Amino acid sequence: MTWIHDHILTVVLFIPLAGAILIMFLPKENKNGVRWAANLTAFLGFLVSVPLFFWFDSSVGEFQFVEKVEWIPSIGANYSLGLDGISLLLVLLTTILGFIAILSSWTSINERLKEYYVFLLLLQTGMLGVFMTLDFFLFYVFWEVMLVPMYFLIGIWGGARKLYAAIKFFLYTLVGSVLMLLGILALYFINRSQTGVATFDIVALQNLNIPVNLQLWIFFAFFVAFAIKVPMFPFHTWLPDAHVEAPTAGSVILAGVLLKMGTYGFVRFSLPMLPDASSHPMVVNLMITLSLIAIIYGGLVSLMQKDWKKLVAYSSVSHMGFITLGIFTLNPNGLSGGILQQINHGISTGALFLIVGIIYERRHTREISEFGGLSNVMPVYATMFLIVAMSSLGLPTLNGFIGEFVILQGAFEENWVWAALAVTGIILAAAYLLWLYQRTMFGPLDNPKNKNLKDLNFREMMTLVPLIILAFWIGLYPKPFFRILEQPVQKIMERVRPAYYAAHPDAFGAPARLNAAAQPSASLETEAAAVRSAEKRAGASR
Amino acid sequence: MPNYYIQSYIPILMLLAVVILLAVGMLVASYLLGQHRPTREKLTAYECGITPTGDARHRFSVKFYLVAMLFILFDVEVIFLYPWAVIFKELGIFGFVEMLLFLVIVLAGFAYLWKKGALDWTKADSGGL
Amino acid sequence: MQTSDLIRILPEIILAVAGIVVMLLGAFQKQNAGRMHPAIALLGLLGAAGAIAYQYPWRSLDPAFGGMLELDAFSAFFHILFFLVAALVVLSSSEYVAQERLASGEYHALLLFATMGMGLMASSNDLIMIFIGLEISSLASYILVGFRRGVATSSESSLKYFLLGSFATAFLLYGIALMFGATGATNLTEIHLALQAEQNTVTAMASPQLTPLVGPVPTALVGLSIALLFVGFAFKVSAVPFQIWTPDVYQGAPTPVTAFLSTGSKAAAFAVFLRVFMVALEGSAQDWVWLLWVSGLLSMVLGNLAALLQTNIKRMLAYSSIAHAGYILVAFTAHSEEGVAAVMFYLAAYALMNIGAFAVVSHFGNRGERYVEMEHYAGLGYRAPLLAASMTVFLLSLIGIPLTGGFFGKFYIFRAALHADLVWLTVLGVLNSAIAAYYYLRVIVFMYMHPAAEQIPVERVRPAMGFVLIFSMAATFLLGIFPQAVLDFASQAAALLLENLGNGVL
Repeated sequence: MTWIHDHILTVVLFIPLAGAILIMFLPKENKNGVRWAANLTAFLGFLVSVPLFFWFDSSVGEFQFVEKVEWIPSIGANYSLGLDGISLLLVLLTTILGFIAILSSWTSINERLKEYYVFLLLLQTGMLGVFMTLDFFLFYVFWEVMLVPMYFLIGIWGGARKLYAAIKFFLYTLVGSVLMLLGILALYFINRSQTGVATFDIVALQNLNIPVNLQLWIFFAFFVAFAIKVPMFPFHTWLPDAHVEAPTAGSVILAGVLLKMGTYGFVRFSLPMLPDASSHPMVVNLMITLSLIAIIYGGLVSLMQKDWKKLVAYSSVSHMGFITLGIFTLNPNGLSGGILQQINHGISTGALFLIVGIIYERRHTREISEFGGLSNVMPVYATMFLIVAMSSLGLPTLNGFIGEFVILQGAFEENWVWAALAVTGIILAAAYLLWLYQRTMFGPLDNPKNKNLKDLNFREMMTLVPLIILAFWIGLYPKPFFRILEQPVQKIMERVRPAYYAAHPDAFGAPARLNAAAQPSASLETEAAAVRSAEKRAGASR
Repeated sequence: MPNYYIQSYIPILMLLAVVILLAVGMLVASYLLGQHRPTREKLTAYECGITPTGDARHRFSVKFYLVAMLFILFDVEVIFLYPWAVIFKELGIFGFVEMLLFLVIVLAGFAYLWKKGALDWTKADSGGL
Repeated sequence: MQTSDLIRILPEIILAVAGIVVMLLGAFQKQNAGRMHPAIALLGLLGAAGAIAYQYPWRSLDPAFGGMLELDAFSAFFHILFFLVAALVVLSSSEYVAQERLASGEYHALLLFATMGMGLMASSNDLIMIFIGLEISSLASYILVGFRRGVATSSESSLKYFLLGSFATAFLLYGIALMFGATGATNLTEIHLALQAEQNTVTAMASPQLTPLVGPVPTALVGLSIALLFVGFAFKVSAVPFQIWTPDVYQGAPTPVTAFLSTGSKAAAFAVFLRVFMVALEGSAQDWVWLLWVSGLLSMVLGNLAALLQTNIKRMLAYSSIAHAGYILVAFTAHSEEGVAAVMFYLAAYALMNIGAFAVVSHFGNRGERYVEMEHYAGLGYRAPLLAASMTVFLLSLIGIPLTGGFFGKFYIFRAALHADLVWLTVLGVLNSAIAAYYYLRVIVFMYMHPAAEQIPVERVRPAMGFVLIFSMAATFLLGIFPQAVLDFASQAAALLLENLGNGVL
């Protein structure tokens, strides 16, 4: 037990890889064997990650489950893993979405099955590595390696314009990441000249004092990489192509996890390593402006889509805008909301893509006009779609509401205009999702091809149910998630705005409040009070 | 550039000047002093006193080139023996062995050529050469 | 001359003997009885590698032949690389030689002679010796390029290579002559001292090893000489603007020979390039760094842009080889110990992945190299999964995706460049390496994502070829995951190379 406790991250990280290697040696003809092996691997991967949630001590600010082995000593790169609250949530999201993605492909993929699952599992290891690693060099390795399986997934199993989408995705991301590599090297050299130690250790690099000019340069090197990944407004053009052309599982992973790597990058690297640049007014204004553009533009474009999947893809642009908005409000509410919204978006949009995938598998079209009145023939499907859509548009009691509300709270705290503009994003989301729902589920069942559609089978339900449970859990009782985020948010705040907590002793993650958190009732009350006061203000602004 | 550097080239320059003057001078002198009575016979190309036949630019067998190349190759190698012979006594047994090795290598090349038929004038295809 | 001198060139002696033996065997055996030739060639290479290993540690070796040759760790690194390259080329060309009915004896003999010349280049510490080594390897490669005698393009590329190569060598020779005129020395260490003395006249008076020339060194002459030396070397490494020959020669040459040229010859050229510029001319770095800067940038940009437009895989790899010369020049521009080590590491990684890629190209090419267009590769991912998978690994490594040697090589290059404050060059370099991904990916796209228009025949992979593929793939991964050993070797060699110079470096 202690061995597994000490090496749990390695185990979680490499189970998918081991499964991929195992599958490579299975005979190609045995399709069900390959399917079972892949699904079991993914499920096992999910199971071993569950203890992380229980073993994780949210009152500790340091990284947990740390493992560290020397890798390339001459440049100071280590194999080092560890989790804090932010990465814990993302790792769990990855393991669960990874399993669901694999489960969802059981019948939809029939060609080159073996390669498909190998690539999915490799991708899984790559993504987990990105979130787990505490070494910037290793981070880069995972970040780039992950491109390859995703490229093949889109390029081989994708839709009509798969080649274009695959290459566009690859090149876009590669251009961004090579610039990030330079940023990493710059930090590395700065650290070496300041401390004399050659290291890529993320914790060490978070404690540097860098002149603000230099910080801005490095910030923009990172910005390109992360903004392309998120994707933020002018860099988003790869996303609709990649999403639409990717197979369902690919879209789920892409939207659910891959995009989070960009926002994770901002939270993990840009903010704490380059605090002066991140809080530079020019940068903040730029980031907020881009986020608001993404929110509104993404929503408007979604409204106009005729293709179901493209609509969901563009809605991602809008939702990711909320996350970056939250992060760059640079206050505890915005930050924690942004981080939680990453998870929410993974759940809701992942589920939306599953919904699209299920209907696509039956009809081989995604034209919204082809559908209508589906609720008559597929009641379970329609119900689940409704819940998922509500969760995505931010209905209270569901997860999307919590994240967006806290983000808006944070935005309001800085500038009411930001919050007001962002709220239009929520309205737009309600518009395009409800309209989509109406066009597809309600109305007359006039297309004869839709008359004999089968409702969800057990496997398909099983892909959606866990996500719906999570959506309700976060919507009804988000406290454990916020508690996990308190310490990391506090650490980021202390880097970015050191004076913030002195002025706002009640704020989320404030040291004083953390001490009080020992008595749960007190903290509950303050939280409730905070929500109440914020509601009042939000109401006033409307 | 310092003076002494150029100075060391002055003798060469002088030699160059003398050579050019002499060559040009001889040509000019023969042109000015000689008599010019061109005949048809005098204007034809001089080929060892025999009446020239055909065009000078016709194709030669590639074998000539091969022989010429081989000749130069071995010629140069033989020339290499000359300085060696001059200081043979100083080099002693070491030099002897060294030259022996050198000749063995040359000989290996020669054997290769022979076997390949490069020296065989009548062979239609000179076996890869 | 002493015995130790002979031991220093023992690897070259062994290679020469093996080459002569193979050559004679080829002549005296019956036609097509060439099975022994590769074996003898491999044995010779193994023996030569053994002769290098025997002299370990290379740190303490004295120069041989009065300072003409230096078997230091730097040269040992390159020797081992050349032997590896040559051995892989011998193994991977066994199919090709049989298929095209090439004269096996001469082919292997010339490979060995070329390798010997490269070995001499790597260890020579004297401009004259460098010239001799360069000529030995160049002459052999001119012939190798034209080895498909019946094919017009092969002869054409041979002639082109020969003519342009002779020009470049002439430039180099002129540069050597001028350098001798300026400093009175051809030995690299002496040239270094002479140039250093020029910069510091006080030590010049005191230094007893000073060259026979009295008085200051004429700087204009040195500058001209550096320019000419640069031309000669830039041609050999196919850096812009002296790259014109590369695509034609690489395309026309037999594929295994192309692999040899693009890895072995290029590495050898970089070895002398490094040694001459870093040892002899380090003192006047400000005169040549900008040359490298411009040439490196242009090589990357032009190589990559031209490669984007190619449909022939050999030609595409030729242009990519120009681009890779550019990346290497980026590290060279840093002219630091790190930079030298980065160049060495990159050359090793590049050699392995490129030989692998060319081995696949050679195998798919089939008789007469008929199938070397990208469209021929359509659908191969499913018809020849293992070959296509290995090609994918090599191409990803050429792009520079992590966990492959190519990534680490690039990382090390850009690290060195950034450390030397070459920010813009580094930024342009990494962007270039991202652009380059496009044309490598296109091959992958054809292999896996295009339906096959024409079912090209795929021969069974023979064991020798299989070994080459597996070896290069394993080595590519090894260099990408556990690069430490090679990295240490390269760093120590670089440190040792620059150790005694003690000026200006870092």
